[in-house]
Amino acid sequence: MKKTLALFMVALIAITSLFANGGAETTAAVADDGTRTIKVGLICIGDENDQGYTYNFIRGRDEATAILAEEGINVEWMTIYNIGEDSSCIDANIEAAEEGCEIIINNSYGFEPYMLEVVDDYPDIEFISCTNCASWNDGRENTHNAFANIYEGRYIAGVVAGMKLQEMIDNGEITPEEAVIGYVGAYSFAEVISGFTSYFLGARSVCPSVTMKVSFVGSWSDATAESDAALALIDEGCVMISQHSDNTTPATAAQSRGVYHTGYNNDMTGIAPAASLIGTRIDWGIYFSEAIRAYANGEPIPQDWCKGMAEGAVVMTPLNEAIAAPGTAEKIAEVEAALADGSLQVFDTSTFTVNGETLTHAFALDTDGDFTADSVEAVHDGAFHESEAQSAPYFTVQIDGIQWLNSAY
Amino acid sequence: MSEKRTPFVRLAKRTDIDPKKAWLIRVASIVVALILGCIPMLFTGTNPIEAYSVIVQGSLLRPVYFRQTVKIAIPLLGCALAIAPCFKMRFWNIGAEGQITMGAMCATYFALYWVDKVPSAVLLVIMFLASLVGGGLWALIPAFFKAKWNTNETLFTLMMNYIAIGIVAWLQGGPWEGRKGSQLIPMFDDAARLPNLFGVHIGWIFVLVLVVLMHIYMNKTKQGYEIAVIGDSQNTARYAGMNVGAIIMRTMFISGAISGFVGFMTVSGANYTLYSGVADNVGFTAITVAWLSQLNAFAMIFISMLLAVISKGANTLQTRLQVPASISDIITGILLFAMLSCEFFINYRLIFRKKGEEVEA
Repeated sequence: MKKTLALFMVALIAITSLFANGGAETTAAVADDGTRTIKVGLICIGDENDQGYTYNFIRGRDEATAILAEEGINVEWMTIYNIGEDSSCIDANIEAAEEGCEIIINNSYGFEPYMLEVVDDYPDIEFISCTNCASWNDGRENTHNAFANIYEGRYIAGVVAGMKLQEMIDNGEITPEEAVIGYVGAYSFAEVISGFTSYFLGARSVCPSVTMKVSFVGSWSDATAESDAALALIDEGCVMISQHSDNTTPATAAQSRGVYHTGYNNDMTGIAPAASLIGTRIDWGIYFSEAIRAYANGEPIPQDWCKGMAEGAVVMTPLNEAIAAPGTAEKIAEVEAALADGSLQVFDTSTFTVNGETLTHAFALDTDGDFTADSVEAVHDGAFHESEAQSAPYFTVQIDGIQWLNSAY
Repeated sequence: MSEKRTPFVRLAKRTDIDPKKAWLIRVASIVVALILGCIPMLFTGTNPIEAYSVIVQGSLLRPVYFRQTVKIAIPLLGCALAIAPCFKMRFWNIGAEGQITMGAMCATYFALYWVDKVPSAVLLVIMFLASLVGGGLWALIPAFFKAKWNTNETLFTLMMNYIAIGIVAWLQGGPWEGRKGSQLIPMFDDAARLPNLFGVHIGWIFVLVLVVLMHIYMNKTKQGYEIAVIGDSQNTARYAGMNVGAIIMRTMFISGAISGFVGFMTVSGANYTLYSGVADNVGFTAITVAWLSQLNAFAMIFISMLLAVISKGANTLQTRLQVPASISDIITGILLFAMLSCEFFINYRLIFRKKGEEVEA
């Protein structure tokens, strides 16, 4: 018995030492025809079946592949699906690194702390954490963050919603006081607060009497809770539903109760044609192609990347012309142009108040790691400047007109 | 006895099986299970031989993967050892999940708030002790009710899991939350992390030591004997003058403390932070490990490694061959089924009727 055990151990040691040298290759190979192949890892919290968050990344991945192929850069993707925001994320990053990925992209906010456990072991590999914010302050060269000015897209979605509400008021379907938006949010978290505030400001810019109720579900992706929250909001008199959560159930809930909806991450007009007006999403293909191109050309990948509608990083999904208010498409084009040339600021401090007063001061960055912003003034030139000091949103102010139904999350 | 009245097949209890032969049957059942595991792979259009080789490559054949596999096996083994005395006593503790979570939570408190107060080694010892107390007390509650009022321990321990997980979920979004709204407790300082040895946190040494200790405890000590007697017959134990209630509570405290220790190793050695899913079903999978090992502490090393290999390898399977990772759950299920049914054939034999003669199978 002891002999067998000893034999087994020896065999095990022999096997492990045999493979000990099988490390990762780190140089971008250039083929004879001048094309380069770069291996990129993409670690996802879900899979494309969510038709929302991760699906949007997969679209971005495929788009970037197509863009780069035309430039002679081949991308070999290693996509790892359904990773949790836990230590399995550490293992997924190690796995991607060991399999020879030169760039590793983490798609969820909660992945970053686990990713940072791995980055120092692989200094030659570039690590990207989408939607999080440690990179500018972590003192490392091989970590990066990326986000897009999704609040611009939300503002426009809000304009579309506001026009619809104003149309309903003008037709006498609802009174001005009944123009209430219900918003299904994931957590009371800067990214969500920034999103629904910009959405609300967009709606109010065309429908002055609008108010909003926000319900947090305490999960980024919980189809049932999102649906329940939407239904509860409708029961409270909301006639327009929007969402910052990963599933399509708020759209179907809105359709089942005969109210309207605007979406996120994906075009939801297909599953709720009588309710969903428009959606907005980040086009990750823009960033992915830019980052991978930079790497292929030996240039640094931006540390903290953030672009908006003007660069195509934020796009609107097709407008549901059948149910949108007349003139919506023209209004969208007008707002897009105004955002692009800077004449319109989403968080213009003259358009909202906090406890009845104009916002004059708010910090953007947390420099000492106590999770409270303490540096860089975000309010200047008559507006709160979102995603300027870092890519991840930092607007956390509770403005008048928006009622938080719960904030436990 | 006339032929008519003999049933086609009968069961008879085996009493004489050679232990070596029994283990041979168990190993054979694993092989059968692995062969049966080919079926779902064929359904997903994967070559089973390629799939198994990917599983082995992705879990054992590179030092870094081997380390990750060991990291998965550590809590499984530790928790199986924790459950073993309870099951020996026929006390169905399915609350290891919650005991791990409570141990992890108590350790995390000191990792977060005492990190500046004491040196690293002291901090780790405090975290270790806190996890023992946390997990032990959490297990003591159902044991107390069982001893006092004979409540159903299966339901009670199960329900305690969800309370523990709920408490951590609340801490995660409440008092211990890092960046507001993030639902994340900050990562531990280096001082609150277990050191590594050969690339894996030193928990692997602790659990191996624990294997030996548990083997001695169960087989060579008076307390281990008491547990075995209660498992066979509570009345016998009472007749022999044992205080059954006290022994149940003592055993559950020990079991919970070891589970709590597993929680400490998980937060301090693997995750470096706490979240509500810290136990990650280890408390349930460990039941499988304990049963498949027949509560034999040394066999648990092998079984926990086997399950870790399948679990780690399945991730590689997914990334390389696009096979859903849930295939590992299916294989584990088949494995469990095959091994538990082999216990049936070890304990019983089938006797078929055949033309007046009896044929054994």
